[in-house]
Amino acid sequence: MSVRQLWEGADSAPWIQQLDGRTKLLTLFLFAVLSITIDNPRSLFLLFTVSLILHGLAGTTIHKWRVLAVLLLLGLWGSMVSQALFYAQNPRTPLLLLISPEVSFFGPLTGGLYIYQEGILYGAIQGMRSVTMLSLGLLVCWSSDPRQLLQALMSWHLSPQVAFMLVTAIRFLPVLAAETGEVITALQLRSDSQQGRTAILRHLPYIIKPLLARCLRRSQTLALSVVSRGFFLANGKGRAMLWRGREKFFCYSLIMVITIVVSSKLVYLLSEQGLYFGALRQIYDWTKMYL
Amino acid sequence: MRFLIIVMLLCCYMQTALAGYDLEVVYPYNLDKKQHNVVQVGSTVPLYVNLTSYNLEREENAQVILTLPKGFTPLPDAHWRLNEQGQLVTSWTLAADYGRNFDLVYIKAEETASLGSQQLQLQVIGEKWQTSRNVDFIYAPGTEVKALPTKKKQRGKGDFNWYIQNVLLPVDSYGIRDDRSAAGVVYVRDTSLESFRNRMTGEGATSWSAVFNHPATYILLELRNPKKDVRVLRFKAELVDRFTGEKVPGLCTAGKVADDNAGEGWGEAAESTEETTALISLDGTTNQNVVLPLYIDYFKVLEGDYSMRVTVSGNGQEKVQEVPLTIAKKHSMGLMAVAFAFVCLLIVILACGRIKRCIYKIGAKGAISVALFAALAFGGITLPTTIMGDLLHAFLGPFSGLVTGILSGILQYLLIMALLTLYRTPGTLSLMYLVKFMLSCLMFGNFSPLGILSCCVYIVVLETALYCSGFYAQEKLKSQLLLWVALVMGIADAFITFVNLEQMMFFYRLYYADWYLALYMLINGVVYSSIGAWLGCRTGLKLRQVMGE
Repeated sequence: MSVRQLWEGADSAPWIQQLDGRTKLLTLFLFAVLSITIDNPRSLFLLFTVSLILHGLAGTTIHKWRVLAVLLLLGLWGSMVSQALFYAQNPRTPLLLLISPEVSFFGPLTGGLYIYQEGILYGAIQGMRSVTMLSLGLLVCWSSDPRQLLQALMSWHLSPQVAFMLVTAIRFLPVLAAETGEVITALQLRSDSQQGRTAILRHLPYIIKPLLARCLRRSQTLALSVVSRGFFLANGKGRAMLWRGREKFFCYSLIMVITIVVSSKLVYLLSEQGLYFGALRQIYDWTKMYL
Repeated sequence: MRFLIIVMLLCCYMQTALAGYDLEVVYPYNLDKKQHNVVQVGSTVPLYVNLTSYNLEREENAQVILTLPKGFTPLPDAHWRLNEQGQLVTSWTLAADYGRNFDLVYIKAEETASLGSQQLQLQVIGEKWQTSRNVDFIYAPGTEVKALPTKKKQRGKGDFNWYIQNVLLPVDSYGIRDDRSAAGVVYVRDTSLESFRNRMTGEGATSWSAVFNHPATYILLELRNPKKDVRVLRFKAELVDRFTGEKVPGLCTAGKVADDNAGEGWGEAAESTEETTALISLDGTTNQNVVLPLYIDYFKVLEGDYSMRVTVSGNGQEKVQEVPLTIAKKHSMGLMAVAFAFVCLLIVILACGRIKRCIYKIGAKGAISVALFAALAFGGITLPTTIMGDLLHAFLGPFSGLVTGILSGILQYLLIMALLTLYRTPGTLSLMYLVKFMLSCLMFGNFSPLGILSCCVYIVVLETALYCSGFYAQEKLKSQLLLWVALVMGIADAFITFVNLEQMMFFYRLYYADWYLALYMLINGVVYSSIGAWLGCRTGLKLRQVMGE
């Protein structure tokens, strides 16, 4: 499976492809809010499971599942490693000493660097937030055409000029990739050394100038074309996109639920700081148990 | 003259003649000074002896002999010894002119002693004088203290004179428990901004001794004293690991921290204590509540779950009780970073009109250039760091950022500064960041609160830095100015790195060490970004030739 195929959303289930871009972006954002609100490991795991179930319902292909699995595991592993090093809660049990506190310079600077047993688990739990967001982000990405999401942004009053810039950037991404390849080939051919002629890394520092120069020339040409057609300064107020009632209802319900969840978390946090209201006792209990 | 000599001799004689001794003996002695003469069966109560001497010509030695009734034994004391007759003896030196000697002798009343009226005698024998006092008291059985029904009765403590019934925290300075706050949870203030806050409020340099000597909370010690003992006890609270039971740092004692002006290193005090200590006195009542301040070592304490071991000891007895304790830290820095990010978001929303005007100012050519540069930034930075970043993260852990920073630091600032050199207008940078962020949203689904906030922080901080550095104001871009701008961009990026890492720690509940933040800010922020900005300025100047074609 090529990278291009990987990023195409044609093979997803029809129901998710047909969803409005606004519904997708809003759901994605609200899930992100939810994942940073929740602290309870079980609820976080449930949220992560929901994101995987959505992938299953969306008919994510086996190749994409593999990519997803690799990315999720790498993400989780990274979080576990970082928290295993920097875990700052008690109790913590050192498993491995990386830098002894007695080592000159680094020892006193770091106070000793250890791998903490509890940090590994903590990192795995906290890493579920980012992998949930990554999983849902990839779901939206794999099941949507960028134009669909762009239309969603435009219906949220995105300036037509900015939208034009965004479209230009998306359209020219493959062109820029191809040009980068051409520049690398040219640099390889011009290389005066037989040794390492094919090494890309050697030529990387010299790629940027010709690439930027080409970008500037292209922008001149494009600007002439766009301005002469009067496209750039156009109002761009096309017909309003229809947002299906069911989707709108779902989004508003989700907003309401997330608002309640975030509010209860906020009042709970305030209660910990002394701003306690007896009438909200049940909310505090619920928040403590599930959030 | 003779008269004067006679007067002086008379005075000397009178001093000798008027030399006197006041002996005060109180038993049972109560710390609250209440007078009562009942000693309860089995209790340990102190005897108070006070000898005041005055008008002594010179220093003088006196022997103090205490004769106790049968069944009353003194607790071991380094200053007192038992003679062959079973009397308690010590020697005091009475100072010349005026002197005062006093002591407390703890006397344990055995249960075998006969009830009813008893008497003890204290005799002081000087060089040419002696005096004695007899003290009468009643030895009577007391009332047993009923343990609270909810509390488990201490094992085998029926014959203990005193014990810890309960340890309660947090309470206020009056020992009142606020039911609104969680039991066993102590919130510790964030002292990382202490110096900054003090300077901003005009209080000057931080007095760390004042910070450390301020109790983090109070602890209520419910003591049971069935034998109605009166004595001074030593209190000690220390944090121990819940699993291993080993003592861990986190507490300290007020007063052990030297005043800033004293010039004493208070690291010394911290390493010698790591516990909160205090002296408490049993006042002879059966139920006694003691409120004690608990001091936290803000530099050493870690948040998390502990056991707090409370040890109360005195006169050879020691009672230990462990209670669960959770230390929760207030993350003021993270909260401030998030607040700052929200302010940036507000500024960006308010400045939307200006950003749009910038598009008209730089025209179609400029806007397309911005879009293409943003596409390059996305393809050259966001794409590889998203895909390869995870892989590097797996191998290098948190240090992967120092490698991916070559792209997100050097290449990003190279592109930004190259673009800004060509289109030197406020708003160009904002446009590029907005397009890059939206590309990331559309292509990777990175539509998260943290993504939006960090994008706004980049826009506001960098635009402000560019404006303040004079980049937009100067007509010609001289090398000195470009160098200065590159440095300013590096410092601004270090600040952005700090804010974004703090936000990440706040939202994702992650931990990063301070030294790691500093390293990241220095390498990824100042070094990479300054190099990138400088290269970008140079590249931009060369690209002007292309613009002129």
